Amino acid sequence: MNNLTKNIIRFIVFVVLQTLIFNQLEIGYGFHLMIHPLFIMLLPFELGVISLMGLAFLMGIIIDIFSNTYGLHASSLVMMAYFRPIVFKFYGPREGYDPLKEPNVFDMGNRWFTYVFGILLLIHHLWYFLVEIFQFNQFFFILQKTLFSAVPTFLICLLLQSFLIKKSKTK
Amino acid sequence: MRNLIAFLRRFQIFLVFASLQIISLVIYVQFLSFPRSQYLTTASNVTAKVLTWENDVTKHFDLSKNNYALQRENIRLRERLPEFMYTLSAEKVKVEDTIYKQQYTYIPGMVINSSVTRRNNYFTLNIGSKQGVKPNMGVFSDKGVVGIVHNTSEHYCVVKSVLTKDINIDVIIEPIHLAGILKWDGHDPRRGSIDGISNDLRIKKWSRVITRGGSGIFPKGIPVGKVERIESIEGEPLWNVVVRYSEDYRTLQRVYVVKNLMIEEQQALEGQIPPDEEEDVLR
Repeated sequence: MNNLTKNIIRFIVFVVLQTLIFNQLEIGYGFHLMIHPLFIMLLPFELGVISLMGLAFLMGIIIDIFSNTYGLHASSLVMMAYFRPIVFKFYGPREGYDPLKEPNVFDMGNRWFTYVFGILLLIHHLWYFLVEIFQFNQFFFILQKTLFSAVPTFLICLLLQSFLIKKSKTK
Repeated sequence: MRNLIAFLRRFQIFLVFASLQIISLVIYVQFLSFPRSQYLTTASNVTAKVLTWENDVTKHFDLSKNNYALQRENIRLRERLPEFMYTLSAEKVKVEDTIYKQQYTYIPGMVINSSVTRRNNYFTLNIGSKQGVKPNMGVFSDKGVVGIVHNTSEHYCVVKSVLTKDINIDVIIEPIHLAGILKWDGHDPRRGSIDGISNDLRIKKWSRVITRGGSGIFPKGIPVGKVERIESIEGEPLWNVVVRYSEDYRTLQRVYVVKNLMIEEQQALEGQIPPDEEEDVLR
């Protein structure tokens, strides 16, 4: 299975998972599980940032249509896609990334994945709740929601990778 | 010209980023206040179909609870039928009633998709313009007020629930008929608050809150909830009245859409108000 079909299937799987399962799980207390940022994270290293943002926008709009948020998910996913190369560069190895590897937890190691995906997830969630609530006197509420949603989302994303991803043979 | 192209090429990434952000935020702000089309909401045909399939599976989870609620509502209504009452006088009198005329009819519907934890929560119903649903109609369930229709397609509609930012339903607190505006602060799906009640008025705890029925979207007297706490707002002569909703929106399934048969008459009258005073007209 080549890279393109793999990513198309992943796109569909993530949209279906997010809209039909994780959108319906409403735990309360500010927990809000958004696993679709993992798709943007798992796209290959060599993909340019413009096509990243295009994919992020497309995915965001589809999820928006299903959850009546009209562009909120699109905006925060594009924000995350814009920051992805910057964070990758910051944490990258000196000789650059191996194009045969994929930015998942098995190929790149726990430490790298926790830093990079943690930062990207925080950017995504912070922007999402900032725009959604849009009241600066409720800043602590925004921070609380961001943390309460980002931490469980991160754990679920770790779990999901072991279901969805085969370890690459190059390691 | 060459400079322009060089500039565009240099800031290409940021320009694409900025334009995508602007597009999505403009859509967001526009649709929040007034949706231009149904295609970006769950009222669109494809989305609603998919959500209907999903709901076909998940609707059974709350089925017995909802059936029980419907049964209780039936009992409440049956108690008022003349056939179920004991007649005290032997002779029957037929009354041709000319005092009352029907003003409201109701369209039954079912929630196929809902959310309660976002800042603005919407419900998707399986009824649409074919059944006569139009934007700005009220929606309620047997236990309480639900929201106002935001957007419709042929077979589905999206309801802006009371758990949104600018819902502004006008309500009254029961025994002394204090009028206020229902708001939601985004924290707890079980509690809302009422704005605009001056703090020289006394409000009893657990007094009932019902709709006022001022602008013909809701009939008067649909329950909203009960007053749970009264807090003073610092620096303002107003109470912040916290209401506990009587409906649990997390398990809501069966709802009714209010169709006001005289709404056009009322709107035509209110349309004669000059536009600068129109801001005071509430929902």
